[in-house]
Amino acid sequence: MSYRPRPTFDQPTAESVRRTRRASIWIIPAVILQQTTLIFGRHGDQFSQLLGAICWTALTIAELWWLLGLPFRWLSERDQAILNDEWSRSVSGDASRWGIATAAVAGCAMMIARIWVRLDAGIAIFALVNSALIVAVARYWWLDRGEPDEDE
Amino acid sequence: MSERLGNSLKERRTELGLTQSELAELCLVSRKTINTVENGIFVPSTVLALKLAEALSVPVEQLFWIER
Repeated sequence: MSYRPRPTFDQPTAESVRRTRRASIWIIPAVILQQTTLIFGRHGDQFSQLLGAICWTALTIAELWWLLGLPFRWLSERDQAILNDEWSRSVSGDASRWGIATAAVAGCAMMIARIWVRLDAGIAIFALVNSALIVAVARYWWLDRGEPDEDE
Repeated sequence: MSERLGNSLKERRTELGLTQSELAELCLVSRKTINTVENGIFVPSTVLALKLAEALSVPVEQLFWIER
């Protein structure tokens, strides 16, 4: 497959991608909310399922972008280096650790809860995955919040 | 005993008339990285410390030290 670079006039830079990341972080909880209604809706038809699958895929891509710093092939090596610099990797790593810890605690809580409450497997998996995701995203947002002034 | 990484990044940078963005550009990192290092929030790797020292034309030990 041949590679054609995107025209430079609309080419994003590391800074513009960073700004977009920060400005659009609220999308993840919104998509999770939407997934909840679609996946666990009582009358989910095929269209709803398709919409749910698209949302889930979008969410997964967004998560990989935020937490792992997926490189964009149209970004220059310089911009990729800036986008995934030490601060960004440090924040992603910290957020991921919080996500893993949340999954561990949520899993443990569910194991204890099932002694008294009958848990549905689908809902349990959904809650486990998304609680970890929400905590990781919230942690990322908290650590990377605000753009400091030049000499702040 | 609590130890902290002190730095004279801001002093040296302003001495050379550089902004955070310009220094970030020289070291291929984001301005946020420079800002957090300057404010002692983030401890840079050896590689970044050496890059900063090189960009600011000072020995690395003059730029960073351990505060006890």
